[in-house]
Amino acid sequence: MRSFLSVFAALGLSASPPLLAVTPAVDPVNNEISISLEQEPQWLTTIKATDAESSIVLDHITEGLITRDVDNNLIGGVAERWELTDDKATFWLRKNARWSDGEPVTAHDFVFAWQQVANPQNAAEYAFLMRLFPNGAEIIAGEMPPETLGVEAIDDHTLVAHLVTPTAYFIDLVTFISFRPVREDFYRAQQGRYAADAVNMLSNGPFILTEWVHGASMRMEKNPYYWNRDAIPLDAINAPYITEDPNARFNLFMDDKTAIADNLQISAMKMAMQEHQKLKSFSDGTVYYLGFNYREGRSTANLNLRRAIQSVFDAAEMTYKVIGVPGNLPAYTLFPRWLKGDDGQSLQAQYPPRKPDLSVERGREYLAMAKQELGVEEIPPLTILLSDQPQTAKQAEYFQNVMARNLGLEIRLDKQIFKQRLAKMSAGDYDLVMAGWGPDYNDAMTFADLFTSWNANNRGRYSNPEYDALITEALQITDQRRRNQIFARIQDIIFDDVVIIPQYERGFIYAQDKRIDGVRRYHTGGDLNFNYTFIIDEDGSRGVPD
Amino acid sequence: MVSYIPTAEDFQALDSAREGDRIDRPSLSYWQDVWRRLRSNRRALASLSIVVGLLLFTLMGPLLWRVDPALQDLEQVSQPPSLGRYALVVADNTPAPTVTHTAISSAAVDREQAARNLRLLGTPHSEGVNLAWDPLPGVDAYQLYRHEYPPRDADDLGLPMARLMPQEISYRDLLGLETRQYYYSIVGVYNGKEARAYTTLPVVVEQAILFSEAEYRGLLSGDATPETAVGSSIRLESHPLGTDYLGRDMLARLMWGARTSLFIGICAPLIFVIIGLAYGGLAGYSGGRLDGAMMRFADFVIALPFLLFMILFKIAFGLGPGESGIGPMLLALVLLSWPATARLVRGQVLQIREEAYIAAARMMGATAPYLVLRHILPNVMGVLLVSLTFAIPTAIFTEAFLSFIGMGVVPPTPSWGSMCNDGIRTMLSHPHELMFPALFISVTVLAFNLLGDGLRDAMDARMRSGT
Repeated sequence: MRSFLSVFAALGLSASPPLLAVTPAVDPVNNEISISLEQEPQWLTTIKATDAESSIVLDHITEGLITRDVDNNLIGGVAERWELTDDKATFWLRKNARWSDGEPVTAHDFVFAWQQVANPQNAAEYAFLMRLFPNGAEIIAGEMPPETLGVEAIDDHTLVAHLVTPTAYFIDLVTFISFRPVREDFYRAQQGRYAADAVNMLSNGPFILTEWVHGASMRMEKNPYYWNRDAIPLDAINAPYITEDPNARFNLFMDDKTAIADNLQISAMKMAMQEHQKLKSFSDGTVYYLGFNYREGRSTANLNLRRAIQSVFDAAEMTYKVIGVPGNLPAYTLFPRWLKGDDGQSLQAQYPPRKPDLSVERGREYLAMAKQELGVEEIPPLTILLSDQPQTAKQAEYFQNVMARNLGLEIRLDKQIFKQRLAKMSAGDYDLVMAGWGPDYNDAMTFADLFTSWNANNRGRYSNPEYDALITEALQITDQRRRNQIFARIQDIIFDDVVIIPQYERGFIYAQDKRIDGVRRYHTGGDLNFNYTFIIDEDGSRGVPD
Repeated sequence: MVSYIPTAEDFQALDSAREGDRIDRPSLSYWQDVWRRLRSNRRALASLSIVVGLLLFTLMGPLLWRVDPALQDLEQVSQPPSLGRYALVVADNTPAPTVTHTAISSAAVDREQAARNLRLLGTPHSEGVNLAWDPLPGVDAYQLYRHEYPPRDADDLGLPMARLMPQEISYRDLLGLETRQYYYSIVGVYNGKEARAYTTLPVVVEQAILFSEAEYRGLLSGDATPETAVGSSIRLESHPLGTDYLGRDMLARLMWGARTSLFIGICAPLIFVIIGLAYGGLAGYSGGRLDGAMMRFADFVIALPFLLFMILFKIAFGLGPGESGIGPMLLALVLLSWPATARLVRGQVLQIREEAYIAAARMMGATAPYLVLRHILPNVMGVLLVSLTFAIPTAIFTEAFLSFIGMGVVPPTPSWGSMCNDGIRTMLSHPHELMFPALFISVTVLAFNLLGDGLRDAMDARMRSGT
């Protein structure tokens, strides 16, 4: 089987010729590891980055005010201590934080970076985050200059961020890549080529990007100026392969070319077990659901039709029998299991979601009512939008069969690439959609405001005054108890009104080399982080960084 | 000298029908000769029987094997070929057995200690495996693993199934259970770190089916109730060629898929060969400037890219998502493939036109339609038939390729190409899902090619004198 695999690995190799010398998955001599990336990072500037691969790289080469330790607890990054009040957040920066050219990291670098995120000239997708600060919305709209953003450097080491509304989760949010520093003089000296190549970058994180062969490979080496360099075990991280094919990435892992293989498919999991590899599970915090189009004239705008679908769709059957990858859990609410409640347990444990009482008879009764209300003999065929991932197609074919078998509904599958799917959703050119929503920050609000009438991501145009009013209230208070009560009410509205039908919370199985430990995974920001990764010594003890 | 004067009686008229020189072999028509030759070609004959068998499989198959190709049998997902497995009928919505938990004094926290008494609750079957274990003192959580092979060490416990709270000391596994042996392991988690000590329990999972599912699929006798049926063993549908990733019967899907493949494979070549014949025949027969113009147009059509037109037609047809692309595929194939045949026919016609027998027939006053029907067409027929048999596998292959990349049929309609695409994902773990449709494509294409080869040999006039 080994030789069979290496044939496939060779195919994967030819797709992206490694220009670096071939590096082993784990190199204890040079204290390096190798990984594979899914895609070429789109933007390696924290001002514009949005995609997952850029976030992964940026989390190694830049550091924000607040960061996370290996167990994902919030710890001080560039900021030594901080204070959050209703109208502002104050950060006191550490004096020994340095850029990779030896210059100190100052509060001005943060002010400049955040102004650039808001600057409409940069057209940053995450510009909306700067609405948190006074004048942010006006700057984004081009009505005020970026310099008026309500963030100020009191001195080189004190940063004050004024807040428009009380934001309970601001400290958590500030770990996000858009809040990293950028040094103005260096940025300007690049004349528009900032972060276009490895030489056009300045790092303040644990690593420096030293080689970047576009579309082919990357190499990151430890930053000698990083203030906490002694806590960083690895000397270098290589990414000699960039390939989107999960099977190719798995084969690279099996051939000992990379130290980690993410998102294993069922056949890869079986192969990994056969080869006695170490498997781990990770939930990325994303909730997948069936969304509806509420526009005038769509049958899915009819509540009874949605109830009919809700009555026959079994999230558990789909998760356990169709998806069949451990780590995925059936979902019954928009709020995933990892969200915290206010009594020490999870939000779901505090406010358990209701599960639909599955019944084909009731589904057919609802369907009959829907037909009557819509004044049709038969519901016209419904189009379901889905991504071009093979796993999604399998789920959609299962859904198609469940609907045909129990309700006699004809479902047509419309596979589209991500951008096209978003375009079609925005244009309202669909009935149903298999959608997912991943958290942007560590608070239930990142999910809850999804179906407010003003949210641009509410592409089905669901509109409910009560829902809007509840979210407006939650946005203005910091009392966690009251906020969670609101989220529980939102959960009920979503169930009763069948705003969406939750399907599953996504999980992955990944294989990790037995010789490394300390890989950090988290459901927001750059997931897959090797800042604290170390190579286990042959005697089983933890490798000591020199 | 008296000479004899013969009378009329002495003469007898010869029977005009009597043959002069008799040839002692039966006379053979062209087609009889072709058939005789083809019959002696064993390879071609075998191919011919495969083609006939395939047509029977496609047209008669679904009448005999009455299985819905879209029926999802989630009890038997990705099963290798098998005949009627037995399954235990289990009740719907059985609550997971609960295990009462007695508090343990957290005084004796021992991380080297493995959980004791990992055990099964009830029969382990494909609708659920219930496990329980004795609590460990002082744990933050339990981590449950499932392996398909005996674990070797703490780093090799298989799939991480679930992380459970300390008060949860039982677990119901529902995830994609196959009828095979599993090795469940339980590990204590202390301060977010898994202990190295583990306990493993081998479990053999039995095939089961929910009562409601068995009832829906008509596997139970008419008067069965949950009370009488649960616990009994019933025979599931047999899947002689196994099932795919959603438990759909491969044999039924191959039969229905063959309809799509052969429909395109036979219709498209038939139509474009007829168009090519008419076009090439007209060009060749008329000759001169018309011929030149017609053939330049044919050259132009040859230069058009097929895939692009296929996509354009799909748009021009106004096909929404989820609608079959078979229509545009047929049209694109027909509109872009006829020039090859037209060239072939024109060449033949140009040659035949100059033959002496044509000139003779013309001098005797034969009209154009007579010449075409009596002399030209029959002489073109041979090459035409050969080009047709070679065009069929090409068209089947094109259909398979387009369905493979998702431009052809739409789910749940099967086609060999789309089945290959589905099967490739599970190639390493369930090779039969890729192998069967791939085998059908290969054998069909090979059979048509060999048959075409045989026909060409049989029809080649220069080889006629042989044997």
